[in-house]
Amino acid sequence: MNLRNLGALAGTVILVAGACSSGAASPTATAVTPVVTPTPAASAPAASAPAAGIAVKIGIELPMTGGEAPNGVPTANGVALALSKIQVPGFTITIEQEDDALNGTHDPPTGAANMQKLANDPSVLFVVGPYNSSVAQAEIPVSNAAGLMQCSPANTNPGLTQTWGGVDPKTLRPTNPDKIAYVRVATTDDLQGAAGADIAYNVAGKKSAYVADDTETYGKGIADVFATNFTKLGGTVVKRDGIPDKTTDFTSYVTALKGLNADYVYYGGVTTSGLGIFRSQMASQQLATIPFGGGDGIVDGSAATASSFLNVAGADGDANTYGTVAGPHDIPNAAQFTSDYKAMFSADPGAYSAAAYACTQVFLQALKAVGTGVTDMAALREAVRAYVATPANSYDSALGTFSFDANGDTSQKIVSYYAFDATTKAWKFLSQRDFTANPVQ
Amino acid sequence: MTAATPSVARPRMRMIPWRAPVAVVAALVISYLVIANAAGAQAQEQFINALTIGALYALIALGYTMVYGIIELINFAHGEIFMCGSFVAWWLITTMGFTGTIHDLPILVIVLVVVFLVSMLVMGVVGVIIERFAYRRLRNAPRLAPLITAIGVSFILQNLVFVGISNSIVKVPQLIPFDLLQIGPLAIREINLFVIVFAVALMIALQLFITRTRLGTAMRSTAMDREAAQLMGVNINSTIAITFFIGSALAGAAGVVQTQYLGNTVFNIGFQSGLKAFTAAVLGGIGNTTGAAVGGFVIGFLEVTSSVYGIGRWSEAIVFGALVVVLIFRPNGILGQQLADRA
Amino acid sequence: MSGARQLTRLLDRPRAFLRLHQSLTVIISAALVLTVLPYIATWYPFNGFGVQKDWVGGFADAGVFVLLAVGLNVVVGLAGLLDLGYAAFFAIGAYTYAYGASSFTGLHIPFWIMLVIGAAVAALFGLLLGAPTLRLRGDYLAIVTLGFGEIVPVVILNADAYTRGTNGITGLAQPDLYGLLGINGFGFTNPYLYFGTVVVIVAIAFIFLQRLQDSRIGRAWVAIREDELAAASMGINTVSTKLLAFAIGATTSGLAGVFYASKLGVVSPDQFGFTVSFTVLAMVVLGGMGNIWGVAAGAFVIFEIQHQGLKQLGAFIQGLNVPVVTLGPLKIDIGSINFINYQYLLYGLALVTMMLLRPEGLFPSRRRRLELHEDTDEVAELLADEMLEP
Repeated sequence: MNLRNLGALAGTVILVAGACSSGAASPTATAVTPVVTPTPAASAPAASAPAAGIAVKIGIELPMTGGEAPNGVPTANGVALALSKIQVPGFTITIEQEDDALNGTHDPPTGAANMQKLANDPSVLFVVGPYNSSVAQAEIPVSNAAGLMQCSPANTNPGLTQTWGGVDPKTLRPTNPDKIAYVRVATTDDLQGAAGADIAYNVAGKKSAYVADDTETYGKGIADVFATNFTKLGGTVVKRDGIPDKTTDFTSYVTALKGLNADYVYYGGVTTSGLGIFRSQMASQQLATIPFGGGDGIVDGSAATASSFLNVAGADGDANTYGTVAGPHDIPNAAQFTSDYKAMFSADPGAYSAAAYACTQVFLQALKAVGTGVTDMAALREAVRAYVATPANSYDSALGTFSFDANGDTSQKIVSYYAFDATTKAWKFLSQRDFTANPVQ
Repeated sequence: MTAATPSVARPRMRMIPWRAPVAVVAALVISYLVIANAAGAQAQEQFINALTIGALYALIALGYTMVYGIIELINFAHGEIFMCGSFVAWWLITTMGFTGTIHDLPILVIVLVVVFLVSMLVMGVVGVIIERFAYRRLRNAPRLAPLITAIGVSFILQNLVFVGISNSIVKVPQLIPFDLLQIGPLAIREINLFVIVFAVALMIALQLFITRTRLGTAMRSTAMDREAAQLMGVNINSTIAITFFIGSALAGAAGVVQTQYLGNTVFNIGFQSGLKAFTAAVLGGIGNTTGAAVGGFVIGFLEVTSSVYGIGRWSEAIVFGALVVVLIFRPNGILGQQLADRA
Repeated sequence: MSGARQLTRLLDRPRAFLRLHQSLTVIISAALVLTVLPYIATWYPFNGFGVQKDWVGGFADAGVFVLLAVGLNVVVGLAGLLDLGYAAFFAIGAYTYAYGASSFTGLHIPFWIMLVIGAAVAALFGLLLGAPTLRLRGDYLAIVTLGFGEIVPVVILNADAYTRGTNGITGLAQPDLYGLLGINGFGFTNPYLYFGTVVVIVAIAFIFLQRLQDSRIGRAWVAIREDELAAASMGINTVSTKLLAFAIGATTSGLAGVFYASKLGVVSPDQFGFTVSFTVLAMVVLGGMGNIWGVAAGAFVIFEIQHQGLKQLGAFIQGLNVPVVTLGPLKIDIGSINFINYQYLLYGLALVTMMLLRPEGLFPSRRRRLELHEDTDEVAELLADEMLEP
């Protein structure tokens, strides 16, 4: 029995999990995320520049195994792709790969240990990762103390960079509270929750909503913001529920809906927490006429993609469904990116491949700008960190042009709106809204 | 394993106290009232939801309690057998080419019989194999050794499915219609009716098997005192193997029910469902098959009730909290432990 | 056989000495661990997986699990009470630290004092849970502890107002020596300080637990484990003795929780699930229940297998450059297998295999070995060993 076949079988399935939001690759292209090799560590032809320059490393810190491999592997591939496309004269860049999954799920202490390991290697100048916000909480103190810049392609919890729930993000940076060593290219959850409320009230035109969450960081975060903003717009939240993420039987929650007179359901969470099952059980009980909204945790591919929200929700369940993606729909050269990715990894890019690509571009630009003539690794690491932490620098990336603000957040505050399209059985782009001018709070 | 005292030959059937039916009716009425108090117009529907999910937990709990009764092992791999059963159902249904509800009754019956039989048979055999290779050698080892291999086996099964089939939720076509049936004052969906009737029928069959057949007697005597049973001519190894077969087959059936009632399965449902089923077994009185069934229904009721009262967030804490409270006041579970006391 | 026997005879004297001076043994071992372990990490093949600093950081994390395992050993190995929710006390210790040393409450109590407070709070919860439930026998107790282990994270998750719920509590203070030995805050970049600290904590716990084990109480635990009824008729108060075992286990777990939280700097409810309880239980059983040294070794071995062995297996095998073997139509290319996908499968297989080969654990206590190998000729020798014991 060829063991690789088993791996390939598993690789045809997608899953978006954890506390995250979709990056910017167009949602229809977020479909298949391979678990299959090549892993970047094994295959990255990183910087095959013939002229041997100074050897430096870029770290990758993502969940690569277990149920989270579909999150980490395509994201890591984005880094390898960027390194194969862009060279920095005078430097030979290789990848140092770490995995923060333990027993199949992301594990904060493992992430912190990995970050230590990367920091201990003086030639590591920059880290792409992590994927999950809870891992980031354990890593930010380490990267801050080591002065090693990390760029997360996927973290969306506002509290990592901004005051959130009354907690100052400086508590995450006890060593150097005013030094930024963590930036991210994904938009925060608060914008998505607000966008969800905007869709429910203004696009779908509904006034009373049932709001549930999967009791996880991401789901509860966007559901709370949805509830606040929906009420602010003039709507009523008829019931606020929390449904544990391990639930498989949603029938009683769905049955309870009938007595609530809700004309909209907003559910914060991801497909793997059972949102698709909830929607299919709504259809089983003839409630599919009530529109269903969610964040980018459900915008994970068309109905043809196995295990995607639309697939699990089923033929009757997926109508009347709205989703948001925390990023611009119109990204430059999306088709080119997809075909490059396919050429290198024989698979479609994942939801965060482009974001990881953009993070790598940030690093490469910084290295180009500050790297000339510097041979001391510690100085180089600090120079890269300082460059990226400077809000004045802007980057022309796979996600479009952006810069990082003083907190380390991306200047791109765009949320794209999607709705289910019955003819293609996939998500259809409605519009995108820029939240820079009218921030949520 | 249901024998109360060894001196009575066929204790169960003769000794059903007159109180039993009264207690069942009283429990049903009280739980209905508790649900109705908060569910309003959906009271009846929610009550049926509770019975249905309870029936599913009960089916899994039976296997737990049978294995525990005979070799005193908390078989943590049992939940994974349930999960594998659901994947067997998924594979059969999709291979046969069905994509949705079957409205033609004869075809539906045939397909269901095939799916249930195959899944139960396959999982029964898997259970026997697991017992043979992972537990039998450890029968005289320290009590915790087989517990660790059980968890090891559960890792193996879960990851075989994970690597070989799917690493996420798999949609399974639901063959049984969801149409509402009106039976007198009772409105019930066909699927719910099927699950409840099917599970109760299996439980009754199991009860008859254990109390009325030679094999059942062998199982009970092995549970009570292995050495003595052996002296009386019971083949211990095959009796234990049969217990594993039946318990695992029931889990396989539960796996099919899961796919048909909830329409999906995933590689990691085994652990959580197994944990709840195990809780059900203990709640009812471990080693006691009737108790396992009762425990399953109690847990289904607790879950639905917490959702109806809007505290679904806390449902796990409520289930396990109830377990702790029940055990404090009734240290041997609701119906009591009915296997020989071997501490 | 006789050669081996002679060797054992030769070792009798130092062994007897070490057995008589157990605390000294612990101190010597701790010193050895502190000095030797970091150097072993620089040998082949270990040096391929990271520099010394990486390994030492990993050892500090392993120390947490060693502490957890020796604590659970008291409950499971000595007193024979199956505890499936041990992670709950770990969580309670960690959250106690979060309350005592973060800006969440505004308290900034030093780490060293918090160690005591965390242990005490965990012990209190141990007593609270134990008092009503310890009269349950065998597996009923197991399921109650399992329930408790499930309830605690759910409560932490949903009581947002008191725990910040799913967001967790961040910004916990690091340990501080206030200039003693020239050391101030431990910070996040120096694993040696954490390693030293955890070795000292484990050593103290070891000495304490060993003395307890050899005391009247320790013998009472074993008596209860072997036969509760007989123990009770010999005048042992079984309830309070079991309660004490439970509380001691919880205390050790609380200590581990405080140290863990201070090293990580953040606590959140998803870090304390059943996986932790089970992993620690596997460490105790595989190490050899009842034997504190075996349990510690088992904990260390399993931790390193999970965190280093399985993760690095793929890279290691690829590094070996195993040639592709062709057997007719079958092409076996070990180097191309993506081991990362199979690590939990391998973990499961490892657990089953290890348990089948050594059901009594890797380093069983002498008493247990006696129980299991009554028919072997080792018995006489082991009995003689038993006699040597004070």
